[in-house]
Amino acid sequence: MSIKYRKTRAVLADVCTVEEAEGLLEWLTATPKAKVDLAAASHLHMAVLQALLATRPRVVAPPKDEFLARWVMPILEPENQGEVST
Amino acid sequence: MNKLLEQFLLEARDLVEQVEEKLLALEGAPGDTALIGELFRLVHTIKGNSGLLGFEVLVRVAHAAEDLLDGVREGRLEYHSELADDLLSAVDFVRRLLDEIEAKEGIPARFQDEAGELAACLRARLPAAQDDGARLGTVASQVSPATDWSWLMKLSESLREAAFAAGAQSGHLLAVRYVPEPDCFFKGEDPLFTVRNTPGLVGLAISMREPWPGPENLDIYRANLVFNLLSAAPHDDVAEHFRYVPEQVHLYDLPVEALALPTGNLDDGHVHRDFVLNARRRLTKGDRPGLEQAVANMLETVNPDLWVASALRWMRRLLSIQAENAVVEALLIAIEEQQAPDWQALLGERLVADDQSSVQLRQKDEQPPQAPKRQLSEVEEALWTRILDTQRRILNLPVPAAQWAGQLAAITATLSGLYRYQGDERKLAALEEAASRAEREKTFAPLSALLGAPAPSDSVSTPTMVEAEPKPIEPAVMTQAPRPSTGASREGAEVKSDRRDEDGSADKSVKVLKVSQEKVDRLMELIGEMVVAKNALPYLAARAENVFGSRELSREIKAQYTVINRIAQEMQDAIMQVRMLPVGAVLQRFPRLVRDVAKNLEKEVRLVVEGEDTEADKNIIEALADPLIHIVRNSLDHGIEPPEMRQAAGKPREGQLSIRARQEGDRVLIEVTDDGKGIDPEMVKRKAFEKGLIDEARLEAMSDQEAIQLVFLPGFSTAETISDLSGRGVGMDVVRTAMDKMGGAVRLISEKGRGTTVILDLPLSMAVSHVMMVQYAGQNFGVPMDYVVETVRVAAGDIHTFEDRQIAVLRGRVVSLHGLDKLLHLADVPRPNADGEHAVLVVRVGGDTMGLLVDGFSQTIDVILKPLEGPLAGLRGIAGTALLGDGSILLVLNLKELI
Repeated sequence: MSIKYRKTRAVLADVCTVEEAEGLLEWLTATPKAKVDLAAASHLHMAVLQALLATRPRVVAPPKDEFLARWVMPILEPENQGEVST
Repeated sequence: MNKLLEQFLLEARDLVEQVEEKLLALEGAPGDTALIGELFRLVHTIKGNSGLLGFEVLVRVAHAAEDLLDGVREGRLEYHSELADDLLSAVDFVRRLLDEIEAKEGIPARFQDEAGELAACLRARLPAAQDDGARLGTVASQVSPATDWSWLMKLSESLREAAFAAGAQSGHLLAVRYVPEPDCFFKGEDPLFTVRNTPGLVGLAISMREPWPGPENLDIYRANLVFNLLSAAPHDDVAEHFRYVPEQVHLYDLPVEALALPTGNLDDGHVHRDFVLNARRRLTKGDRPGLEQAVANMLETVNPDLWVASALRWMRRLLSIQAENAVVEALLIAIEEQQAPDWQALLGERLVADDQSSVQLRQKDEQPPQAPKRQLSEVEEALWTRILDTQRRILNLPVPAAQWAGQLAAITATLSGLYRYQGDERKLAALEEAASRAEREKTFAPLSALLGAPAPSDSVSTPTMVEAEPKPIEPAVMTQAPRPSTGASREGAEVKSDRRDEDGSADKSVKVLKVSQEKVDRLMELIGEMVVAKNALPYLAARAENVFGSRELSREIKAQYTVINRIAQEMQDAIMQVRMLPVGAVLQRFPRLVRDVAKNLEKEVRLVVEGEDTEADKNIIEALADPLIHIVRNSLDHGIEPPEMRQAAGKPREGQLSIRARQEGDRVLIEVTDDGKGIDPEMVKRKAFEKGLIDEARLEAMSDQEAIQLVFLPGFSTAETISDLSGRGVGMDVVRTAMDKMGGAVRLISEKGRGTTVILDLPLSMAVSHVMMVQYAGQNFGVPMDYVVETVRVAAGDIHTFEDRQIAVLRGRVVSLHGLDKLLHLADVPRPNADGEHAVLVVRVGGDTMGLLVDGFSQTIDVILKPLEGPLAGLRGIAGTALLGDGSILLVLNLKELI
C-alpha cells in the first residue's frame, strides 16, 4: 500500500493505484479535517485524484513529482474549486 | 533497467508461456470453459501490466485477444484452429515486443502498424454485430469538439508562456480534449497516466464533467474528469499516443497566438491610450523594432501584477515570433478595451482555411538540411549503446587529478569516433564545444550533459554513482559478454529453483525465488575465481618448504588448503544446482512448433514428450534448443509421411514423434524418435557418392548403419526438394557441430520404413572441464580429457614417415601422428626424452584415433574454461583458456578444429 493513514493525515507515496482510491475516499469522508501529504507521490491513479477532488482535503505537502506539481496540484488548491467543464 | 521493468518482463514471459500452453491445450478440448476462463484471466493480466507501464502497443494486441477470448467464453464465437493460429501469432508478436523491451527498454514505433494489423485481424473474427470492431483505427471521435478555448485561461501565464515557447519552436501546437468514458477504470485504464505520458505535453487543465454528487451517491470508480491538454509534438505522435482511446479524444490545432491571454489586476485603461496610439502607428508603418522598444519601455513603467503588464508581455512574445499585424492589433484593441481578445473567433477560422498548407509548410521549414546520417545496424546499435554507457560510467568515476586531462582526451576521442562513424555532424560540433568547455572549466559536466548522464557531483554533497553502484570496478575481461540472441536465452533468463505446479495454479504462495541470470552468472564467476585462488595454495606450500625451508608452515598451509578446497567444491556443487534447469524449459516450445510445422506440411503428428524433469546446466539446456529444433523439423519434414502414404504403408494416419530425456551418470540423453519412413542407406550412399563426399571404395565397404551416419557430413541433404523447413544442405552437420561445441555427441539409428531415432548425448554441465596438461615448447597446453585415450612413449625409430605423414604402430594398429608444431604452426619440433623416446598423446577425434607428438606430459586438472572473447573469439584451434593456480594461463586446445 502506498497510502499510509495517520490520525488526520494521509501520506501518499510512490504510485497510488486504482485499488487504493476507495480506501482513501472512505478515510477522507470519515475523517474530519483530513489532510493529505503528497510530497512523495510519484503518480496518482485518476481514481485517486477523483477521491481528492470530490472531498477536497487540505494538501499539507505538495507533490515533488514534476507532473503532479505543475499540472495536477493547481486544481487541488483551495481557491480552485474545480469547474465543471462545458 | 529498473526493477519494475525487470519484474514486468519476468512476469510477462511467464504469462505468455502459460497462454501459449493453454491455447494449445484448448485446441484439444475446445469446450473446456475453465481453460478459457483461465486464458482470459492470463491475457487480461498481461494487458493490465502492460498498461501500467505504458506499453500501448502491447495493450492493443492483448486487448484484441482478450475481446476474442471473451467472445469464445460467452459462446458468441467458436474456438477453431484458425482462431488459434491468429492468437498464437499474437503470442509470438508479444514475445518479440518483450524482447524489444528487454533490449531497448521500450517499444520502437515501427511496431505500431503491425500491432494494428494484428489487432484488426483478431477483431475481424468477432461477430460483425459486435461494435468492438469499430473501436479500431478510423473510429470517429465521440467527443464533441471543445466549444471554446477558454480552458486556456486556467493555465497560469508562466505555464502558457512555456507552452508558447514550445509551440513557437516546434511550429505548431496541438490541443487535445480527452473525456475518458465513465467505466474506463474497469478496463484497466488510467487516463491520468495516459495524459501524463503524452508526447510533448506542454499544457494541461483538468476539470470535472459533472459536479461531484454528495458523498452517499459518489462512485469513485466512475470517471468524471475532462482533460484539456496541449502538446508540441507532431500530430501523428499524439494521435498515436491516444490511439487506444480514439473515441474519447478530440484533437485540434491551436495557434500559438491563442495563448496570448492577459491576466492580472485591471486598472484604468485610459492611462494607456497614448501607448496604444503610438504602437498602432508604428505597427501600420511596419516599424517593428520601434514597437518592440515601445513595449519594453512601457513594461518598465507598469506594475508587473497588472493586467496590462501581462498584455504587454504577451505582445512582446508575439512580436518575437513575428506575429501578423492583425494579431498584434487584436491585442492592442484588447488593451484599449481591457478585455482579452477572442482568439478563437479571430484565429479559429483562419486555421480551418489554411490548416493543411500551413502545417505542411512549417514542418518543411523546421528541418534544417543535414548530411545523411548513417543507419546503424542492430549489432552496431547494441555496441554503440554499450560504448556510450561505458563512457557515462567513466564520467562518473572519481579521477585522480593527474589523470584527468588524459581521461578527458580519451573520452572525447571515443565519442568523436562514434559520431564520425555515424556521420552526425551536429553531434560532432556539440562534442567539440563540450570538450573545450570541459577543459576550460575542469569538469566533466558538459560531456555528461551531452551524453545525458547525471552530472558528476562532489562526493560529499550527494552519493555519487560510484557509491550507488554495487558492482565493484572490474577488469575488462569480467564484463558481461553480450548475450546470444538465440531464442534459447529467453527461457534461460529466469532460473527457477523449483518447478511450476503441473496445473499452473500460480496463486498458491510458492517458495520460489526468481533470480536474474546475471546474478547467478556472477556468483558462478566468483566461485570460479575462488577455485583458482585456492589452487595457488599448494604452490605456496611448496615455496614455504623449498624456498623458506619451513616444512611445518608448508604442512599447515596444506591443511588449510584441504579445508578451503572442500568448501570451494561444495560451493561449486551448490551453484551448479541453482543453474540446473529442467529439459522441459526447451521442450515446452515443441508442442507449438510441431503443431505449426505439421499443419504447414499437411501431416498429422502426435507429439509425446517424456522426462521433461531431467535436469542439466542452464548453458547446456540453452544450447540444446537449436539442434533439437533442427532434428524435430527434419523428422517432421523428411521422416513422417503424409497421412495417405502412411495409410498405404499400413501405419496409422497419425505419425508419432517422441522426445525423451533421461539422465545416465553424468550425461543427459535426449532421444528424438519418429515412426516415419526412416533413412534409406542405399540412397544416402548414392547421394554421398554423387556429391563426392565418399569414394567408390568406401561406398562398397560401408555397412548400412555406417552409411546412415553420412548424413552428418557437411553439405549433405537427403531432401528431394528443398522445402521451406529443411533440406538446404545445412542439416545434421549443424547439429553435430553444436553437440561438439558443448562436449556432446549425436548418434543416429534408423530403419527403413520403421522410423528414425536421433540420440543426443550431453554432459550435465560444462562449467568445469577436466583437462590433461601436456608440455610443448616450454609451456603447458590443455587437452580435454574426453579426447584422451592414453599416453605412450614411442621410440624415435618406431616412427615411420610415409608420404609426408608420420605413423606408428600402436597396439597392433596404425596410428597417424601429428606434431604439435605442425598443428600450431610453431617452429619447435617436439623433443624426445633422454632415452630417445617421443611422448605421444593418443586421442580419439571424431571416431579416428591419432597421436599427438609433444614434449612431455603433466597432470590432469579441473579447470573453468573461459571462451576466448573479443577479437580473439574467431581464433580457431583454441577451445578457451583457464587460469592456473600459479597465475599462468593454460590454453586448451580444440582438437577437432586443429586436425
